Amino acid sequence: MVTQKIILDPVTRIEGHLRIDTRVDNGQVIEAWSKGEMFRGFEALLKGRDPLDAPVITQRICGVCPVSHAIASCKAIEAANDLRVPANGRLLRTLVLSANYLQSHILHFYHLSALDFVQVEALLDYSGRDPVLLDLRHWARGELNSNRVLPVAPFLPKLPGDYPGNPEWNLGALGHYVEALDIRQEAHRMAALLGGKIPHTATLVPGGLTLLPEAAVLEDFRTRLRRVKRFIENCYIPDLLRVARLFPAYAETGRGVERYLSYGAFDEADAVWMPAGVVKQDGYAPLDLSLIREETHASFYRGNSQEPPQGAAAPVPQPDKPGAYSWLKAPRYDGLSYEVGPLARLKVAAAAGHRPIAQALAAFLREAGLAEHQLPSTLGRHAARALEAQLIAERMEHWLDQVDPAAPAIAPHQNRMTGTGVGLVEAPRGALGHWITLAAGRIGSYQCVVPSTWNFSPRGQGQDPGPVEAALLGTPINPDFKGLEVARVVRSFDPCIACAVH
Amino acid sequence: MKLTRRTFLKDAGLLLASLGLEPSLLPRMADALEDMAGGRAPILWLQGLSCSGCSVSLLNSESPGPADLITRYLSLYFHQTLSAATGAAAKDAVETAIAKGGYILVVEGAVPLGIKEACKFADENFSEQLLRAARAAQAVVCTGTCAAFGGVPAAPPNLTGAAGVGAALKQAGLARPLINLPGCPTHPAWLVGTLMQVLKSGLPDLDDQQRPTRFYGHLLHEQCPLFAQYQKKHFAQALGEEGCLFKMGCQGVVTQADCSLRGWNGGVNWCVRGRSICIGCARPEFALDPQFAFFRLNENDLY
Ligand code: SF4
Ligand code: SF4
Repeated sequence: MVTQKIILDPVTRIEGHLRIDTRVDNGQVIEAWSKGEMFRGFEALLKGRDPLDAPVITQRICGVCPVSHAIASCKAIEAANDLRVPANGRLLRTLVLSANYLQSHILHFYHLSALDFVQVEALLDYSGRDPVLLDLRHWARGELNSNRVLPVAPFLPKLPGDYPGNPEWNLGALGHYVEALDIRQEAHRMAALLGGKIPHTATLVPGGLTLLPEAAVLEDFRTRLRRVKRFIENCYIPDLLRVARLFPAYAETGRGVERYLSYGAFDEADAVWMPAGVVKQDGYAPLDLSLIREETHASFYRGNSQEPPQGAAAPVPQPDKPGAYSWLKAPRYDGLSYEVGPLARLKVAAAAGHRPIAQALAAFLREAGLAEHQLPSTLGRHAARALEAQLIAERMEHWLDQVDPAAPAIAPHQNRMTGTGVGLVEAPRGALGHWITLAAGRIGSYQCVVPSTWNFSPRGQGQDPGPVEAALLGTPINPDFKGLEVARVVRSFDPCIACAVH
Repeated sequence: MKLTRRTFLKDAGLLLASLGLEPSLLPRMADALEDMAGGRAPILWLQGLSCSGCSVSLLNSESPGPADLITRYLSLYFHQTLSAATGAAAKDAVETAIAKGGYILVVEGAVPLGIKEACKFADENFSEQLLRAARAAQAVVCTGTCAAFGGVPAAPPNLTGAAGVGAALKQAGLARPLINLPGCPTHPAWLVGTLMQVLKSGLPDLDDQQRPTRFYGHLLHEQCPLFAQYQKKHFAQALGEEGCLFKMGCQGVVTQADCSLRGWNGGVNWCVRGRSICIGCARPEFALDPQFAFFRLNENDLY
């Protein structure tokens, strides 16, 4: 069989502008390129501004995970100014962050990924009594009987593929797609209760949160949390287990680089819940930030640099640079690419000796019928995300209990003329770091190294592929499906390209 | 379960309340909803230099809610974040829509007029795709400050030459009915309410910046629950303190938007109720002047 190219352009149902090119030989992907197709230039526009502008501006990097950027930015500024956030502030930030995690994970599974695994047409033959599904069926039939140009949009058209004929799964998933719209919105109301509004929060500032955590607001938050948590337990987890049973082959695709990095996440009153570190073949190692470099050999920026983020100059765009193919830079840790995200967080936590997380992970894998060596896979990433959503929802009640409604959530602000700081957090999609230097009381330099930059990075200095480029290798391809298999592997990483390039 | 007149009347009632319109408009509004549901109002949604925050905000619409919006009222011919179509199928969907024409083009994100390659879709520069799509549209709705006026991507030094959609169309000499819905992101009620009005009665009342006066006709400050504190000169002196936030840099005094009445995320909160400032995210000038800090904690020294 001759070598063939499969190009997915654009990859939809993700955040942002992504194109994936592959070469297929003998029914398998033998080479892949991940191409970020949008650039705005945040690092250049932050330079010279007031430091307190940074959390406002950097949230606008991403409308799906603005909270993570706000927190990373606040922490970088706090480090540069030696500010200590009170326990209440730490907890409330964590609650806003985790509420947004729940909306993001639910959005990703149901609204961004599920349609890759569902036969939408099954709806037309629905004969049950569920009012949501009857409504949907009525709508879909009406659309098809009309002379519309694109009936049943945005659910159709889609790529051809091996969608299961199982009506219970197809209809159940579509019903939950609809329910999940309400649930993710509820998670956003939770984030707004403490964050002021969302997307793009108002109350998260360096030093803590502006709002006073009134008891009634905390109880309102708790009631909504319980609703979201019920959905995770009763729908998200069982649906994930169903996908695992229906698509066992996807436990064998999308393996990736098998190196994982996490900055550690979820500040508690005086500790951090999920531990930081890196994991590769030879096991766990603590995180060493001095090993991070951003490479630009295959990126549309002037020069071939290999810089640490602290104090680095803003990249200068050069769209016609020879050999370049993406607006993403290529972050490397000790010269190697690393995968980040829910799978990495759970792997790192387990390897660092976090017993409850390690046990929950082992039990969940058993339930999903996945062997441990199948965790690095397309299915494994979806499973890790679902399990993480459940673990976070459980932990949130504990954080809520610790908030003191009478105590302040903010430390008074003071701004230094010079200084440096780094702010690390885990976004839903993985390790997020902001690096700042202050000069004459303004922003001297600013760098963001973002989760999807790690995962979707192009080739590095040594022509080594990024994690997604590596994960695609070996993916079995049926040419009639026009790249559906590629899309499934890619979406398991939950791409956010506005973040990745910024 | 069929969509009955009752359903439309119920949704129309909620919408009227959220738009602050007269109850006597109920039948007309229900007609408009029925039209939308009848598929007479296809939407083509394109993303430029955006963060997708305005798309996420659309999913936070309260009345109608997101499920009703997607399946009942909006015919989303294409939406980058929601469409099942991917790769070639996505490109085909957009081309089919453009060939047919007559849709409302919703644009999210700014247009890179300098570095055209800074935003691409199916191997075409977004700036060109936008013009093709706008030509065939019945109206163009710019959702968010980026699409309306450039927003954050257009802040200096503006490496990509980012501009709002209106500016991009003007440069190309293309005149289309255009509505600006600034806000970072746009409030879902501003967008859904505007789409409704376009469908039923054509362009709504617009000011000289093409903003619907219904939503942007008043200063936030005038309708702010803390206005009385402002008059009594009861000001917060530090972040997190009680009182009017004027001395923290609040831009409610120069921002035309109705957040102080409407609230965000189902009304559970909004910026100033959370004791933070209005950063003026709905202002045409939002984020564009690096010298004009959002938090002007030293505003204190001026008094
Ligand atoms: S206006 Fe704000 S929320 Fe909307 S796309 Fe632009 S940055 Fe994102
Ligand atoms: S109050 Fe101001 S900053 Fe907040 S959403 Fe409204 S216009 Fe934007």
